[in-house]
Amino acid sequence: MTAQPNRIKVLVADDEAHIVQVVSLKLSNAGFDVQMAGDGEEAFELACQSLPALIITDLQMPYVSGLELGVKLRQNPATAGIPLIMLTARGYALAQSDLDRTNIKAVLSKPFSPRQILQRVQVLLGLAGEGEHDGHEEARAA
Amino acid sequence: MVTRGPVLSLSVAAAAVVALGAAALDALWLRGAGGTTLAESVLMGFAVHAASALAVLAPVWIGVRWVLARSGQRLSAAAEKGDGGPVRWPAWLGPVSGLVDRANAAWARRAEESSLRLKEADIRQKVIDAERDHLEGVLHSLRDAVLVTDGFNEITVANEPAARLFGFEADGALHKPVDDVIFDDRLRTLIKEVRSSGVPNKQRHVEHALAPGGSARAGGQVAFDVTLASLPDSRNGVGGVVTILRDVTREKEISQMKSDFVSQASHELRTPLSSINAYVEMLLDGEARDEASKREFYQIIKSETERVSRMIDNMLNISRIEAGIVQAERTEVDFVKVCKDVIETMQPQARAKNIMLLFKAGPLVYTAQADRDMMHQVVMNLVSNGIKYTPDGGRVTVTVDNDDAARAVLVSVSDTGLGIPPDALGRIFEKFYRIESYKRVAKGTGLGLNLVRHIVETVHQGRIGVTSELGMGSRFWFSIPYESEGSR
Repeated sequence: MTAQPNRIKVLVADDEAHIVQVVSLKLSNAGFDVQMAGDGEEAFELACQSLPALIITDLQMPYVSGLELGVKLRQNPATAGIPLIMLTARGYALAQSDLDRTNIKAVLSKPFSPRQILQRVQVLLGLAGEGEHDGHEEARAA
Repeated sequence: MVTRGPVLSLSVAAAAVVALGAAALDALWLRGAGGTTLAESVLMGFAVHAASALAVLAPVWIGVRWVLARSGQRLSAAAEKGDGGPVRWPAWLGPVSGLVDRANAAWARRAEESSLRLKEADIRQKVIDAERDHLEGVLHSLRDAVLVTDGFNEITVANEPAARLFGFEADGALHKPVDDVIFDDRLRTLIKEVRSSGVPNKQRHVEHALAPGGSARAGGQVAFDVTLASLPDSRNGVGGVVTILRDVTREKEISQMKSDFVSQASHELRTPLSSINAYVEMLLDGEARDEASKREFYQIIKSETERVSRMIDNMLNISRIEAGIVQAERTEVDFVKVCKDVIETMQPQARAKNIMLLFKAGPLVYTAQADRDMMHQVVMNLVSNGIKYTPDGGRVTVTVDNDDAARAVLVSVSDTGLGIPPDALGRIFEKFYRIESYKRVAKGTGLGLNLVRHIVETVHQGRIGVTSELGMGSRFWFSIPYESEGSR
């Protein structure tokens, strides 16, 4: 995906290519500038380089898990403030201690809905209120 | 037995007294008669009467002695005979002999009763000994540690597992205070609490971790399920405590494994379901803006649905094999044909990656008693993995051979692929295990190799293994015995 000026950058990280692809398509159709990563390590490198406005990441990934990615991002002053949406297939809530040492703002369990993800992204970025999303808003940086 | 001495002395003394008395009376009556003095008269009278008395008493003494001796002999004979029957007495001793016979019969009855009681007591003792030995055998055969303490907090019973657990000699610990033998404070407190509760026949269950071998040699902690039961005493109070310690390490492991399996299975199923759900929603929302995108979405939905289906099939098959309810349909399977069929099926996939799919076998017959469909599934799975994890332009070779020493057909699938990291080799057949770095190389359920191992080892009593060098390729092999040990 080619980065475009003035579009809000969002990073999507998952080792399941289909998941990354569908989430990215939903967000780019909504006007976001989407970057994709296949594992936590790649996601951390991309995040440090491009400083996205938000990161959507899977919990279970090779090399660096979603949680470890969150911790690393929090420890790095440049990326500490980036909000995270965690996708998990595990069906359990993350411990409060895990939430405290990361900047995870929402946890969505699989199977998820692309609409739901887009709505969360828009709410977290202050582009829409809770439940006000129609799914096709253009997202542009303020 | 009648003694002669006293009877004889008595007879002589009686004769003497009688003679002396009679002589005195005669002398007084005939005083001065015939010109004799009184003394002479007494002396002469004594002599005459003594002779008379002796003449009468001697036969009496002999007769009494004879009767008594004979009676004694009969009694002795009857006693020695021990039949308790009546003794033959002379008729004139009727009144006395009746009493003696009754006494004799009563004595014989009592003797018989005593003998019976003695025998019963002996049998009872033997039964008690046997039951005690049996109970001790049961106690010592238990895997659980059993410790019994009395009202004084002293050990009265301890089996071998208890001795091993607490690090003492089972026999040497008897009647020793618990505090001298058990070093675990928590357990000592528990035993005291149950004993001092005052409520007999009450059980208490506690989970407690202990270091086997006693605290002096404390190693790793082991989880125990501890049951403490209070024993009643004769006054319905607490007379002692039975403490049973069951090692629950394995149960905890199995519980964890089950929990992990459910967690892993749900994760693995949710991932493709998530894709299906997302792409269907995208189609419904009109996010696929051209025909090519729509076709791509449909294709993804189809492949992910097949993935879920495969995963469920594999899980069910593994579960059935583990539960022992899979019935293998054994026939004489020609492994050359099985392998050639698989190669033919997989050829398009191999060609798509420009991989050479080769087959090697000698001119011999390679057959074994097996389930043909299952063997096809095993070879198919190994060849499919070989193609998936071999880069374009590589080679996958299927070889069939006979292992005459093991009396088995040996099939191997070698590839020139990525190889398996050494730390992953030992886990490659585990359920849901996938090499992290290979997840993006190819899709998989993480169940295929586990199912293959179950089919080979559990269902066919065969063997399976793998050798690999990272970056150089892998060789998976399995062997199936020529003849089955019986269908499962």
